[in-house]
Amino acid sequence: MTYLVPLPVVMPLLGAALTLLLLGRPRAQRWVSLTVLTATVAVAATLLVRSSMDGPLVVEVGGWVAPLGIVLVADQLAALMLVVSASVTLCVLVYSIGQGMADGSEETPLSVYHPTYLVLTAGVCNAFLSGDLFNLYVGFEILLVASYVLLTLGSTETRIRAGTTYVVVSLLSSVIFLIAIGLVYASTGTLNLAQLVDRLDALPDDLRLLLQGMLLLAFGIKAAVFPLSAWLPDSYPTAPAPVTAVFAGLLTKVGVYAIIRTETLLFPGGRTATLLLVTAVLTMVVGILGAVAQSDIKRLLSFTLISHIGYMLFGVGLTSSLGLSAAIFYVVHHITIQTTLFLAAGLVERRGGSTAMDRLGGLARLSPLLAVLFFVPALNLAGIPPFSGFLGKLGLVQAGIDDGGPLAWILVVGGLLTSLLTLYAVARVWNLAFWRAPHPDMPAGDDAEQAARTDGAVEPDEGTAGQSGAVLPKLMIAPTIALVAFGLALTVVAGPLFELSTDAADDLLRRTPYVDAVFPGGAP
Amino acid sequence: MLALVAVHALTAVIAPALVRLWGRNALYLVALVPGATLVWALTHTAGVRSGDPVVETVPWVPQLGLELALRMGTLSWLMVVLVGGVGALVLAYSARYFRNDDPGLGRFAAVFVAFAGAMLGLAVSDDLLLLYVFWELTTVFSYLLIGSDPAKRASRRAAMQALLVTTLGGLAMLAGFVMLGQHAGTYRWSEIAGNLPGGGYLTVAALLILLGALSKSAIFPFSFWLPGAMAAPTPVSAYLHAAAMVKAGVFLVALLGPALAAAAPWRPVLLATGLLTMFLGGWAALRQVDLKLLLAYGTVSQLGLLMVILGAGTRDTALAGAAMVLAHALFKATLFLTVGVIDHTAGTRDLRELSGLGRRAPALAVVAGLAAASMAGLPPMAGFVAKEAAVEALLHGGVVDLVVLAGVLLGSVLTVAYTLRFLWGAFADKPGIEATEAKPLSWPFLAPTAVLALAGVAVGLLAPAVDRLLTPYADLYPSAEPGYHLALWHGLTPALGLSALAVAGGLGLFHLLRRETVRASLRLPFDGAAGYQKLIAGVDRLAVELTGATQRGSLPFYLGVILVVLVLLPGGALLAGAPWSGGFHLWDTPLQAVAGAVVVVAAVMAACALRRLTAMILVGVAGYGIALMFILHGAPDLALTQFLVETVTIVMFVLVLRRLPVKFSERPIRASRRGRVAIGVAVGAVTAGMAYVAAGARVAEPVSVGFPDEAVSYGGGKNVVNVTLVDIRAWDTMGEIAVLVVAATGVASLIFRRARDLDRRGDIPGGGRTETARPRWLTTGATARAQSVILQVVTRLLFHAIVLFSIYLLFSGHNAPGGGFAAGLVAGLALAVRYLAGGRTELNGAAPVDAGVVLGAGLFVAVGTGVAAMLLGGEFLQSALLDFHLPVLGHIHFVTSVFFDVGVYLIVVGLVLDILRSLGAEMDRQQETEGGAEVREKELV
Amino acid sequence: MTPNLTYVIVIGVLVAAGVTLLLERSLTRVLMGVILLGNGANLLLLTGGQAGGPPIVGTTPQEEMSDPLPQAMILTAIVITLGMTAFLLALAYRSWHLNGHDEVQDDVEDRRIMDLAERDEGPGDADAGSGDDDDDDDPTGGNRPVATTADAGRTG
Repeated sequence: MTYLVPLPVVMPLLGAALTLLLLGRPRAQRWVSLTVLTATVAVAATLLVRSSMDGPLVVEVGGWVAPLGIVLVADQLAALMLVVSASVTLCVLVYSIGQGMADGSEETPLSVYHPTYLVLTAGVCNAFLSGDLFNLYVGFEILLVASYVLLTLGSTETRIRAGTTYVVVSLLSSVIFLIAIGLVYASTGTLNLAQLVDRLDALPDDLRLLLQGMLLLAFGIKAAVFPLSAWLPDSYPTAPAPVTAVFAGLLTKVGVYAIIRTETLLFPGGRTATLLLVTAVLTMVVGILGAVAQSDIKRLLSFTLISHIGYMLFGVGLTSSLGLSAAIFYVVHHITIQTTLFLAAGLVERRGGSTAMDRLGGLARLSPLLAVLFFVPALNLAGIPPFSGFLGKLGLVQAGIDDGGPLAWILVVGGLLTSLLTLYAVARVWNLAFWRAPHPDMPAGDDAEQAARTDGAVEPDEGTAGQSGAVLPKLMIAPTIALVAFGLALTVVAGPLFELSTDAADDLLRRTPYVDAVFPGGAP
Repeated sequence: MLALVAVHALTAVIAPALVRLWGRNALYLVALVPGATLVWALTHTAGVRSGDPVVETVPWVPQLGLELALRMGTLSWLMVVLVGGVGALVLAYSARYFRNDDPGLGRFAAVFVAFAGAMLGLAVSDDLLLLYVFWELTTVFSYLLIGSDPAKRASRRAAMQALLVTTLGGLAMLAGFVMLGQHAGTYRWSEIAGNLPGGGYLTVAALLILLGALSKSAIFPFSFWLPGAMAAPTPVSAYLHAAAMVKAGVFLVALLGPALAAAAPWRPVLLATGLLTMFLGGWAALRQVDLKLLLAYGTVSQLGLLMVILGAGTRDTALAGAAMVLAHALFKATLFLTVGVIDHTAGTRDLRELSGLGRRAPALAVVAGLAAASMAGLPPMAGFVAKEAAVEALLHGGVVDLVVLAGVLLGSVLTVAYTLRFLWGAFADKPGIEATEAKPLSWPFLAPTAVLALAGVAVGLLAPAVDRLLTPYADLYPSAEPGYHLALWHGLTPALGLSALAVAGGLGLFHLLRRETVRASLRLPFDGAAGYQKLIAGVDRLAVELTGATQRGSLPFYLGVILVVLVLLPGGALLAGAPWSGGFHLWDTPLQAVAGAVVVVAAVMAACALRRLTAMILVGVAGYGIALMFILHGAPDLALTQFLVETVTIVMFVLVLRRLPVKFSERPIRASRRGRVAIGVAVGAVTAGMAYVAAGARVAEPVSVGFPDEAVSYGGGKNVVNVTLVDIRAWDTMGEIAVLVVAATGVASLIFRRARDLDRRGDIPGGGRTETARPRWLTTGATARAQSVILQVVTRLLFHAIVLFSIYLLFSGHNAPGGGFAAGLVAGLALAVRYLAGGRTELNGAAPVDAGVVLGAGLFVAVGTGVAAMLLGGEFLQSALLDFHLPVLGHIHFVTSVFFDVGVYLIVVGLVLDILRSLGAEMDRQQETEGGAEVREKELV
Repeated sequence: MTPNLTYVIVIGVLVAAGVTLLLERSLTRVLMGVILLGNGANLLLLTGGQAGGPPIVGTTPQEEMSDPLPQAMILTAIVITLGMTAFLLALAYRSWHLNGHDEVQDDVEDRRIMDLAERDEGPGDADAGSGDDDDDDDPTGGNRPVATTADAGRTG
């Protein structure tokens, strides 16, 4: 089975090579991308099943025995991340194809889009699978450079400006990460994560704290943790909708994943737990207040993105099994929901001609389907039960109350307040963009009168889909529906999913399953 | 029970379709669903009465203690009957209330029945978390229903207000639940009740839970949202804001009371807030001119009363409370529906405009009168029975109870007064006001209202039967003496006397207040709505201030924050206690110091340079200095690559800088120079310190000591660095070339903005157009040397030699310095020379391919090598050593990782080609097509 | 292993100069800062391995070889920096092409909110927030009279 482990990276890279060779043949490119990503989802799912049954799957790339070469480790956490991210990227790909086709512009930089998008996927998967600190850096670089290109697609003035901010901040974070790696290697002489477990334990406490601080800083920038987060709302919203969606869903989570991985595996014992918890509450509260202050839907969503990163840190900082498993659950939930919301925002932009709230209105009546596609994930994001956002939050609150410390209580209160303010923010979007009478500047659209006549249907049946199809292309709606459904499915299968995340969390906290899988004969 | 909830959900989904099919008559069909709930509950009456609750459990998220645990005891049964019965009647009423062409009708039907389902679930949840789930769902549906007329700002605002207020309370309640649940290890109320924590923990938990209950039931200080919610259509008000949802808080108090009444804050909080709410609500009701608002404030008042009765926490008050919940639901829903009918027939519900309606619609007046009598607590109505029970129960209590009794009686006086005001306002003949025109009433419209009113009478008349149904709940409270029983007639008791007194007082008050002057003087001292507005405005302001302070929109600011964090955190750790090793050496060889000095000087000067070209050259010098340090370190491969990369970088810079202004702009340089330098120095110092500490801390042997042996035996190469790159850590290299591919693509996508141009970038015929454009290009002067034919010839000659050399580097790299990167860069430089000498034509002549294809091919070869190894049964990227004899060449020692290196080579060549095409050729072309004038203009700006 | 002081100093200076340039507005300078920072980081990686002869089997005895692993990492990092440099240069050019300069601009939307903060205002169109009750919406939107709910808010 281990031969499957490199495939989530290898297949997209091969796909990228093929799409480059097929430059100028968009149709063929599309098929390559779709095939590759579908296969990636399948492989990831298999990995998840196998790793849950047999423990972490390890590959020594090129046959070089660990710790000489690079190992790829698919444990439950990594496999879970792979499944979710691959599914999300697939949906977004379909959406972006739909958007591109609908624009009737085969010549929008689609020929650049496909190879870059595939490389982005490869980078994300690589980061999840990597069992080597430097390779983690390479994984980050892959996804970052791809994100630079995607963010500046079309080279408009806003995108160049936003892209510059994003690129330079990311470059700084890369340098910090590289320095951290240099320090780790200098003090331990290895890069293999499993081997670092012992070697870092042997270092003086304060030096370890230093290394931990540098790594946290590097990952904190990528994960958009306050106060390292300000770049995000300035850059993400300017990109094309599908790009923003995939960035919002995945890229910050790669940073969160790296934090979870290094904090549990390399630096257990929670010496920085207080720091994590303090930044968690700041991230939550400052982030969500940022969202409240916005008047543009995409920007507002970007701030909620930052804010909810705080929830994940909350779980990691508690260092308890329940906290960690809730954090993992929350990551899965948030990848799905945040992506869905940005896709929905893209549909809003297409239907209403803008995402500025003061230029929108009446969408609930104009496009009932779109209303549902926004409303359900929005409530989910706000942690309204019975959706997955509530379940994740509930786990965190339970873990916080179990902890019982004053800081944990502050976080519980902060978390609940954040949830309320998130509700306030999305309800304002709903009130203004969906409920208020339509803005005169909005494109009328042929479906407006029809929609008004047949009233606000709630169910997404083909009747309404066909109706809005006049404006909203089916290939954009279908993946959005799929993701909304995926988000709802998280609620239904929350039991097994929580079981999985609890297993993963326990494995992470025990550390031995990971180390034993890499070094079956004991660490060198 | 789960099935019933599911049926509600399903109906909600198909309701819009039904409405589309049959118009408003579809609501009758939808009404069957809550109707079924009622029937189902009634069939279980016997079991519930004999203390045998209906139980159902399905696991959901066991890790969180969240399961679909449902349990219908007496109290739940009562709620289910109300939710189902009133729900069905209100839906039936709605089928005539709305018009067929009402645009929101489908949505209304869906959300309404969904709400009924959530309410049903809430009533029968045993798992507290599940209860919270349904609790919040009712909040959300209520939000949607209040916003039924969303084009109105007031309506949207009221919806938001109700949503936020009740969610705030709900979240507090959730925290309280979790406290109890985590302590008990379960979330089933039936189990938690016997395993409560004590002391401050319980106090906090109880307070939090109360917060939820009070906000949901619109108790002071949360009362204000309920009158606002009257923006909803009248059927919604009748159901959600009178009979069902606002009862959720009351229900919660009733449910948890038997166990939580022991908590310190329980009774004081409920009694105090309840009484206060009762007075304030009743007071406000007396001031209203809108009949619906009058009822809304009446509801607030009565909810306060319910909280008081149920919060008193004895067996008899519990019985009275349960009866009152039933009575209130019946009469208040009736009255709301009546207002809806009035609104429809008379076209207004302002009591200043209504007159003589009693004579025009006598049936309606009778129905309303029955319900009003119940509200005022007149026999033989349900309201009377419940109030008698309450008075009686309090009469036999302690001092506190007597105080509360006094309050309750005072509340009754208010109730009677506003009841009279309602009846008078709706139906009386008023002098000076024109008799209201009224449309005739249809029976189907009136029938549901009448049924509700008659149910109120029936409950009163059948008091003993109701008593038998409700006592199992009341008996949950411990009680020594034999308890009170509901009945219509207990004889001439003090309680009856007090009731009569209250009615008399109410009559008096009503007459007193009919005079306009007196009413105007009744001002409320509290204004919860204003508090809410202030709070929200405060949050908005805080959000803006905080965001304005942290989100500066300036890149240097963001970078500065990150760097300051770096200085503070890792820097702090460094100073605090990192192990500063005593030993160090100045250098490995003194030459390092020389090279280092060059780098230092160049770097510092580069930071100060004002001209782009100077800065670029200095940065280049620093780079070459580093290459020198690499050599001295014993890293020839690195040095070679660094040297080549630095050169390619300079070429790129030259290509771009020829377009940019010569000097950096002055504006931002001076302003904050000190700050920037300070941050720079601090970060530099911290980094240097960390490097010092880390290098001194190593005790373990590095993993790379095993590399040389393995490189030869397993990797088949003598150049350990190269083997590391293409074999040991080939996975890294694969990622790295992916980075290059994308970077190249990105450069192209930035410069060639349209895909059509991009696809054409390999076309050799493109040269045809250069001919016409050439003269202008030459005038730019910067590349005048391109004229030199000799140079072109020389470069053409050199070109092939350099390319050959690069191929040599590629293949020898496995055993000597070189390898794919270095080789690719050399070949790339050869292309650069061709371009610099002869422009686009030369470049296309030298490399007549699309850069994208080269990149794709390279990536394909490199990754394909890895895949091939896998297909042949090895690990991904595993290399094989092949030794074989060829006739002419003799013994060949061949390692398959060379293929991988070829891929690397191709990609690097592709990258450089791409850069030359984009930053070079395409920029030239854009310059030409746009014309020099425009560009010059821009430069001036 | 003891630290090499020359390296430590050069690293410090490269990082300091790099950061100073990075905090500039001009994208070309920022890029130069990135390059210097990258060089500093590379040198730092190098300090993690011992110096010696070229790590080529047969040329240098094994115990005298310099550590090859940091070299491989640096090589990877150098090449990645090359790609980034190209990209940033293209970005700088495009920025100049669009704006006539290559300076990094402040975010417009952030500026708007900072202005609001200075004027002590809220986000403006907050539906739930303060502000007067005048119904600025489409008056034809409603179809059922909802009496005086605005009044209700005040009398609470």
